[in-house]
Amino acid sequence: MKVEQPSDPPLNSCVDQLVVPGDTVLDLSTMSNQTIKLGEGLRQDSDKISVMKAGKLRLSKPNKYWVESSHKRYVPCVEDTILGIVVDSKPDNFLVDIKGPTLAFLPVLAFEGGTRRNIPKFEVGTLLYVRVVKANNSMNPELSCTDASGKAAEFGPLKDGYMFETSTGLARMLLSSPTCPVLEALGKKLSFEIAIGLNGRVWVNASSPATTVILSNAIMKSEFLSGTQQRIMVEKLMQKLQ
Amino acid sequence: MGGEGVVTPGEVVGESNQLIAGRGVYLAPNGRTLRASLTGLRKILPPPPDSSDQRSTVEVVGHKAHGAVPQPGSVVIARVTKVMARMASADIMCVESKAVREKFTGIIRQQDVRATEIDKVDMYLSFRPGDIVRALVLSLGDARAYYLSTAKNELGVVSAQSIAGATMVPISWTEMQCPLTGQVERRKVAKAD
Repeated sequence: MKVEQPSDPPLNSCVDQLVVPGDTVLDLSTMSNQTIKLGEGLRQDSDKISVMKAGKLRLSKPNKYWVESSHKRYVPCVEDTILGIVVDSKPDNFLVDIKGPTLAFLPVLAFEGGTRRNIPKFEVGTLLYVRVVKANNSMNPELSCTDASGKAAEFGPLKDGYMFETSTGLARMLLSSPTCPVLEALGKKLSFEIAIGLNGRVWVNASSPATTVILSNAIMKSEFLSGTQQRIMVEKLMQKLQ
Repeated sequence: MGGEGVVTPGEVVGESNQLIAGRGVYLAPNGRTLRASLTGLRKILPPPPDSSDQRSTVEVVGHKAHGAVPQPGSVVIARVTKVMARMASADIMCVESKAVREKFTGIIRQQDVRATEIDKVDMYLSFRPGDIVRALVLSLGDARAYYLSTAKNELGVVSAQSIAGATMVPISWTEMQCPLTGQVERRKVAKAD
């Protein structure tokens, strides 16, 4: 029985299509401009670019390619803003769970105006909004509660409220600009605070528990709905609230 | 008391008024006799010609060929096993071009990676797990590991594999390049001689 080798697809036909691991999406020898930037999920095998993760292939002109996929687990990446939960504290750093393969370290001095004299005391279970500073596959990721210039900028512990877990794809959609339709529609009728972590954790804080429940249900249900469907869903929920 | 023969630990090998204790020999608590601390052959070495003390040195040399043991000041070849935020852990494989017979672990601390700007060292940009490094033994360290240093030009990563799996070629003292993909990775590279 003869097995046919899959032929290489023509250039740019795979962009915005579903790709699976093993697909060859680009052949550098047939391309005119050979400088391309590979993002997540793509790998170079001499002249061929093949896919490592299932998802949609995306292109950002002129030459950035990556695979967008949604997972329940998070792979730490530098400069991501995420929600972590304190698991333990050591003399030099806090151990924080970020839904990744390993625990992350949050140095005890990584706060605005942090010195050895005013080390914050976080109990086990505290929810923190943090930024990933270092992330590579052989070491535990390092976090920080300041932005790149050293200012606090909303990072730190989140008090009250309710945290629920989502997939990483939904978190990215909620953070996209222009504002995600479901958040816009909810924001017109209800008042609440929200923090979204790219690791698939969302925190909402509203004045009453009923509002919190509506918010979390609306957000969790909106993952696979289009913009219009999200607005309709929010309308129906608001009517029930009345 | 002359001559050679196999001695065992604790055996008297000489008198302190006639001989000096060398390797494998120690002065007994009574201050008069020299006893062996190893199992091996007893050897007498002639005294150095210029010293005031004209006694010969007696030493005990191991009768089996033991593997090399890292000593402070010796250059070793080690394979990096773990890279952490402030140190890297490595398995010592050879000491001064002799292979070791047993497992020795070494630690390269952040401040011993290079000689300049030691507080700005990023361990992940200096070593990766699996790299072969040439290092200098600083001290016997603690019970778990020797302390190693790569803070010299000729010390550092000797051979490393890229993410694509090929052996990389050194470009400078901070970079190595993969021949298959052309990707440049950062390491603390040893100067090739």
